[in-house]
Amino acid sequence: MTPAVDLSVDLGRGLVLPNPILVASGTFGYGIEYGDVVDVDRLGGICCKGTTLKARVGNPTPRVTETPGGMLNSIGLQNPGVDAVIAKYSHTWATWRVPMIVNVAGESVEDYVEVARRLDGIPGVAAIELNISCPNVGAGGLQFAIDAGAAGEVTAAVRRATDLPLLVKLSPNVADIRPIARAIEEAGADALTAINTLSGIAVAPDRKRPLLGNTYGGLSGPAVKPVALRIVFEATQAVKIPVVAIGGVTDLADVLDFLAVGAVAVQVGTAIFADPTLPVRLIDELEAECRRVGAASYRDFIGTTLPKRPGSPSVKGVEYRP
Amino acid sequence: MRLTAVELVESREILPGQWLQSFHAPELASGSRAGQFVHVRPGDISGMVLRRPFSLNTTDAATGIVTIHYRVIGRGTDFFTRLRPGDSIDMLGPLGRPFEVDPRSQHLLLIAGGLGIAGVRMLADEALRDGKRVTLLFGAASAREVYPSNLLPDEVEYIVATDDGSMGHHGYVTDLIAEYETWADQAFACGPLGMLKVLAGQAAGRRQRMGVAKLGRKRGGGKGDVSGSAAARRKAFLQVSMEQNMGCAVGACLGCVVAAASGPPLRVCREGPVFAAEELDWETPWR
Repeated sequence: MTPAVDLSVDLGRGLVLPNPILVASGTFGYGIEYGDVVDVDRLGGICCKGTTLKARVGNPTPRVTETPGGMLNSIGLQNPGVDAVIAKYSHTWATWRVPMIVNVAGESVEDYVEVARRLDGIPGVAAIELNISCPNVGAGGLQFAIDAGAAGEVTAAVRRATDLPLLVKLSPNVADIRPIARAIEEAGADALTAINTLSGIAVAPDRKRPLLGNTYGGLSGPAVKPVALRIVFEATQAVKIPVVAIGGVTDLADVLDFLAVGAVAVQVGTAIFADPTLPVRLIDELEAECRRVGAASYRDFIGTTLPKRPGSPSVKGVEYRP
Repeated sequence: MRLTAVELVESREILPGQWLQSFHAPELASGSRAGQFVHVRPGDISGMVLRRPFSLNTTDAATGIVTIHYRVIGRGTDFFTRLRPGDSIDMLGPLGRPFEVDPRSQHLLLIAGGLGIAGVRMLADEALRDGKRVTLLFGAASAREVYPSNLLPDEVEYIVATDDGSMGHHGYVTDLIAEYETWADQAFACGPLGMLKVLAGQAAGRRQRMGVAKLGRKRGGGKGDVSGSAAARRKAFLQVSMEQNMGCAVGACLGCVVAAASGPPLRVCREGPVFAAEELDWETPWR
């Protein structure tokens, strides 16, 4: 018998994923949509569709379009609101082994806090992933994610409101991710997710208007992978908490690249649309790769590309001291 | 819904830029209903991250063959035209909800605008199999874009309208509705949004014009069916098959919505692609 390979991931505060392959918010609904095509209980975690305090109808259409090596989406956070999400799905989630990480969005600190409060203690909810890249109407249209002070403030407020493990998702649309990542860490986040989509637009075929109904969309897919790698590379060196990478993962090499720049886990997003079976296959391939190189844990792959470190990476992400 | 590798059997350009392709897909051929669709993955060529949705144009359980009919509009559809017999491709389906025909309906009116024929084509086969009479009203810009009649079952009454008058009625297909709306028990349409909007308006006024009772309403009323349910759709005079840019096609990404008459936007891939006309908001200027 071959020795077991340890694929488990400790994201802190008791959130231990069975393996480091998650599915990304917005690409996997509430976990039930792909039905029999995907065995969800094999996944390392599921980040559900962005959930807000009140129901949102979302943006005008078209909402999605393919671009070279990627796609733009501007769904506009269509969702039935946190209470409806809990009522409709949490009973199913509670029967699953896979940790359900509820992605939370809001327009004000109070929104985020209230959603977190309502999710706290709900069986089936394993953690919260804060989407702080949506417009902060309370502060005049600023995104929480592009300002270290605002990012820290919303993180700290949610931290006080819930005991659930707290992941905060970074936006790539910033000049320097490091002060923002540090502010979120200091505010009490358990882990970071990087990256959210890059802001972009597409032009309608008649060139008389932008293609998307909302003009702006978020770019995802293989096209964003180099940007995601760079931001994960910078974030993992700036903070001690674990970083979950996301951005254009389509095969095992992508997973290994993100681990190499210090991520402890990866989320698969856009690639699910083309191949819903990819995330589960990546788990098997990662395990096979561990066996191939004789690693007892996938953690041997973490941080190998980072500048020289004083010690080996810890279970909880990478410890790096410049 | 299954993910299956299917093999291309035949491929031909039936109209300029429009292709009809047959695939050997026994599970889809026997387990699908008219109005449903498949989400097809372009090959592993760099740059294309999304599948392409196609209506199931025809299915044949006996031979295990399904066909799709599409126009080449970009890199994905262009890729599909380059497939050769024997090539394998990945289909996710059947997806979405089918047309719902009231068992009492004997006369079905199918209305297709251009490539919209692919959305209603399979319903003609299903309806004939169930012993119903089918009339297809087909609209196109000109004679060179008219769907070949030899691709339709002989039993279908086929009426053509062209914008330029080069074949059949000179004008829009919607001009022909008046002649058929007393004959038809139900109507099923697929095509450009403008066409569907006119049809929805005509259908909404039909009851008053004709003084007909709503199909399926028992004397004394009773509880109405929930909007969007199969039972409610079965009673609707007009059902439409909608089109929208699509991401996942299983209801996860909320990319492919259309505006609802009431409530949140509806997913074309999940609540649709077939809707009763009255479920949709035809005034919202969403494209």
